[in-house]
Amino acid sequence: MAWSRTADTFLGEWTQGMGSFVYPTKRFKTVTIYAAWVRELTVEGRAGGALLPHVLRRGTRAWPTRRVMEQQLESLYGASFRADVGKLGDKQLLSFHITVVDGQYLPGKPDTVLDALDFLAEVIDHPRLVDGQFPADVVDQEKTIVKRQISALINDKGQYALSRLIELVADGEPFGLKKLGTPAEVDAVSSSSLVQLLTESREANPFVFLVVGDVDADKIHQHISQRWARAHRQTLSTIVPYRGQHQGRTVVERQDVRQGKLNLAYRTQITANHPDYPALVMYAGILGGFSHSKLFINVREKASLAYYAYSRVDPALALMIVGAGIEFKDYEAARHIIEEQVEAMRAGRISREEISFTRKAYENEILSEEDGPGQLIGRQLEQVLIGGGLSGPELIDALNAVTPEDITRVAQGVELDTVYFLTNEEEGSHGG
Amino acid sequence: MAGKGMTWTEIGEQPVRQQLDSGLTIFVLPKPGMKKTYATYATHYGSIDSHFRRPDTHQEVHVPDGIAHFLEHKMYEKPEGRDVFERFAELGAYTNAYTEYTSTTFLFSATSDIDACLETLVRLVEEPYFTPENVDKEKGIIEQEIRMYLDMPGDRLHSNLMRALYQKNPVRLDIAGRVDSIRTITPDDLYVCYHTFYHPSNMVFFVAGDVEPGHIIDHLARLEASRQMKPSGLIDRIFPEEPLAVQEKRIQKAMPVAAPLFLMGYKDTAGLQGSDLLRRDVTMGLLWSQLLGPSSHLFNDLYQQGLINERFSAHYACAQSYAMSMVGGETPEPDRLESILLERLPGEALRSEDLERLKRKEIGEFVALFENLEDLAYAFNAYYFRGIDLSLVPAVLDSITIDDIETARQQHFREEGRAVSLIVPGQSEGGV
Repeated sequence: MAWSRTADTFLGEWTQGMGSFVYPTKRFKTVTIYAAWVRELTVEGRAGGALLPHVLRRGTRAWPTRRVMEQQLESLYGASFRADVGKLGDKQLLSFHITVVDGQYLPGKPDTVLDALDFLAEVIDHPRLVDGQFPADVVDQEKTIVKRQISALINDKGQYALSRLIELVADGEPFGLKKLGTPAEVDAVSSSSLVQLLTESREANPFVFLVVGDVDADKIHQHISQRWARAHRQTLSTIVPYRGQHQGRTVVERQDVRQGKLNLAYRTQITANHPDYPALVMYAGILGGFSHSKLFINVREKASLAYYAYSRVDPALALMIVGAGIEFKDYEAARHIIEEQVEAMRAGRISREEISFTRKAYENEILSEEDGPGQLIGRQLEQVLIGGGLSGPELIDALNAVTPEDITRVAQGVELDTVYFLTNEEEGSHGG
Repeated sequence: MAGKGMTWTEIGEQPVRQQLDSGLTIFVLPKPGMKKTYATYATHYGSIDSHFRRPDTHQEVHVPDGIAHFLEHKMYEKPEGRDVFERFAELGAYTNAYTEYTSTTFLFSATSDIDACLETLVRLVEEPYFTPENVDKEKGIIEQEIRMYLDMPGDRLHSNLMRALYQKNPVRLDIAGRVDSIRTITPDDLYVCYHTFYHPSNMVFFVAGDVEPGHIIDHLARLEASRQMKPSGLIDRIFPEEPLAVQEKRIQKAMPVAAPLFLMGYKDTAGLQGSDLLRRDVTMGLLWSQLLGPSSHLFNDLYQQGLINERFSAHYACAQSYAMSMVGGETPEPDRLESILLERLPGEALRSEDLERLKRKEIGEFVALFENLEDLAYAFNAYYFRGIDLSLVPAVLDSITIDDIETARQQHFREEGRAVSLIVPGQSEGGV
């Protein structure tokens, strides 16, 4: 197949547990490469998965220390490189992300893309090992760092409240597991188990590659497959959505906070590859996706109860999340207004204006994603892990075809699952 | 672009800049192929401009702290009851605004109807409408916004450092003000600030996207012509003389965080502008990258001792009326970290091979700036209000020597200009 150089879409496919997707475009000054090993999120495996990217960041055969690796990146015109652990639904992603300035815009026009691929290969294929093991001091130092990251999760109250809500909804299912594990799990990881995990990831885990920039897709596919194709990689299994049943239970927790965080989870029964997904997206947009939406208008503008109030769908888990930052004493009032708006959606009280504003806002949002390499990569990764779904202009067309009846039908299937309220320590009791 | 460095052609850009009869400067950057157009209309007016002479009566006025931010919120309200959010929603555009120490920026991002969006942005900024009712209503919303910041440890850390470093300059106060200060704001206060600072001579319009610069400039010129504004003189802003010494050596606050957060600042003498300020800014940036960037010995020693994590950073921030360095991050042992920094910062070796590498990194980052329209607009506006031409960056970068950096270091680390802000784990005792 002859690929044009600027297809403005992802070209590529999965073969033998490896997915290589390239988006050739001239819009950007940089080339971004994202690579990730996809693992099932489990209690036993998560702490090792969280540690491995950290120790890989500490040195390679050619560049034995973190400092020398950084010098290498600086020489590459300030390439940015991250080795991270991520989470999407019930998957743990051990990911590597490198962005380089496209050589055609630099003095002397160097081939920075090849340098970036070489850098990545050096990190994952030739880490610095001593007698076949990651150096013990490196592993210990990175364990400390990961344990501190785990403790630091309480620092951002908004994020903390959201992750508590998901944990409560999941009730033990893998998608509720934290990607970093617990401090005790991190302590228990041995250097030899990390080497084993590296081998397993490199040789057998599904490996996804996403590249955005002014590159030749064929050349990139070839390069990647020559370097990383393996005969026995597992095939990718898609994310399992939430099908649980909490009948709107409420959990109130207390911490030393100045503002209450109210989060509600709703079951939608619809993931991104479901035919009703565009209707669900319209539903969540009208309810709370934008500053013209019901939640913003009613919770913030009319009642002045919150600085923020939003709803958004989780396309992988078949959940919708509603969130607001409120005064402690306003819990009842805010919850009442939110549930009233959800009820209005169920009753089909949706104006023509709300529909047209929401369509246009999505059109703007979806097209704008295409101006950011990171957003393009995130969107494609989501599609790959969910196993389908529309994006870009196709999604815009589908949203435009959604009728008010479709939205009402979807609204009637949306059910309150769990409510979580993070409040301060002194106030009287809330919820029920 | 001038000097050694890079030309616009080498970077692959063709910006157009023009000043209208009203005094308004317009900057347009055509970005063929980009889906969205991003525009900002910004005024050189921020939270620190709370003491000035009214241009009409020449009377000296003090306005309540936080009023610039309050004014930003209130600009969205218009007499016919439909606010500007709705007008942008109708056009499918995203709008937002933000207030900083020295500027206020209104923006839209859109993928269609660009002319109408430009008209709406102009209207947003040029038609104030304040009533006792609509001003009072906003107080509840802004109070929630202020409370949200009070729960953010990173925000408190920064805020307390500014309060410690500065004795007089209003940069020591929070941008959004305090709950008690914003409660006193009246429509009259808002009109005085509006008429003083939202004058075309004090503002700049930035547009980037798949647009034709001539068309954008003509369109804005027509809109501006109807107002019949004439350039105004310089605004008489009154800033107190800032002593060299800090207000407090150390501010410590307990909050529910996992580990201590440390931020150390050095107050610098201010007063530079234009290319002198740019030179200072770039020199100080290079100094910090050499001393404490991720490829420095000091950073890696601290990292290996477990005193810092990979997000630990140092940078320099400067405007016409203030300038400072900030160094910090999460640390288990703030006292030990501080004493190592004090011991090593003055004496770490500065090497020219490191400088050459770091310049490459800076050039790469400068080129990459041109693919992210939001970041570019931000950088352009920030430079513009400091009297700096963005295109001078590569040449200035090229001209800085290791001696310049050494001289800057010797002037900078003065003990009387140093302060530390600490957030330590514990229950917050109230106050800010």
